[in-house]
Amino acid sequence: MSQREQGGVSARVSPEGWQRALTRFVTVIPHTRELGLEVMAVDPPEVLMRQPWHDDLLGDVSRGLVHGGLLTMLLDTACGSSVLCALPTPEVCPTLDLRVDHYRPAVGGYPIWARARAVRVSESIVFTEGLLWQESEERPVARGIANFVRLGPRNTPAGLVEALFAEEPSHV
Amino acid sequence: MFEGFHDVAWLEKTRAEGDVAAWLALIPYARRIGVSAGPDPRGEGVLFRLDPREGNVGNVLLSALHGGVVAAFMETAATLDLMLATREPRLPRIVDVSIDYLRTARVEPTHARCALLREGRRLANVQVSAWQRSEAEPVATARLHFVLMHPAEDA
Repeated sequence: MSQREQGGVSARVSPEGWQRALTRFVTVIPHTRELGLEVMAVDPPEVLMRQPWHDDLLGDVSRGLVHGGLLTMLLDTACGSSVLCALPTPEVCPTLDLRVDHYRPAVGGYPIWARARAVRVSESIVFTEGLLWQESEERPVARGIANFVRLGPRNTPAGLVEALFAEEPSHV
Repeated sequence: MFEGFHDVAWLEKTRAEGDVAAWLALIPYARRIGVSAGPDPRGEGVLFRLDPREGNVGNVLLSALHGGVVAAFMETAATLDLMLATREPRLPRIVDVSIDYLRTARVEPTHARCALLREGRRLANVQVSAWQRSEAEPVATARLHFVLMHPAEDA
């Protein structure tokens, strides 16, 4: 129940270690790997990510606006990443629900930044929030609130922790 | 000359023909994740489909679709369904979305059907249900609010 349960792997990981681990995480996910999502910084329980521009992110060619669903996908990914670094030991945590407010349209041609953090880790749920912006964090394009279910160590498929913290392959 | 969604004549024509494919052609992210639309065998409306693509996977360990991709599929479905369903041609601009994930979405065809619960003068509320093998077991449900813009005003 405590925010920092004891004996976990996470307490021994540095911010730089987390940046490498979550970079591996978004690189293993086919969808974010193909879109080239980048992990810029991690300060548990907070993550900062950057989605470089790509014409496939448009939701309306004629007006040059970003697809709202792409923004939802980024918030889901950023919030889900913040969950991993907030847990005592990373667990697989599916999204339970997600709410996104679209403050203003996101414009094609510019990267999209995402900052997300886990607000509260309870026994069964991790509560998170995230923000997206382009030109400045003071002018956000969208805000998200996402809750994730902890599957727990017992139901977490083997290999998650190893995959996150494996030695970086020399060829990458 | 074709100008896109705010070309009123084009919008009216494609809407009258129910040509959702012409709209999808202007939505690159929806094409990337593999959204398509066809007549609903159960009624007058449209049934939306998300192709099972490896690029849509969000969890390799669970072999599950990315929840954000499922959300993007449902938002696309809601937007296009609304463009067909409004009393007059309108361009919806999303205000907010709330999505509940009910079951793991496998790398299988995903379907969605929408319901316009309210069309006001400026705002619309759309409900979406998405399922895979059985409609009785949805993988996700969502509700979305949109502002309805006049096509000529939203250029």
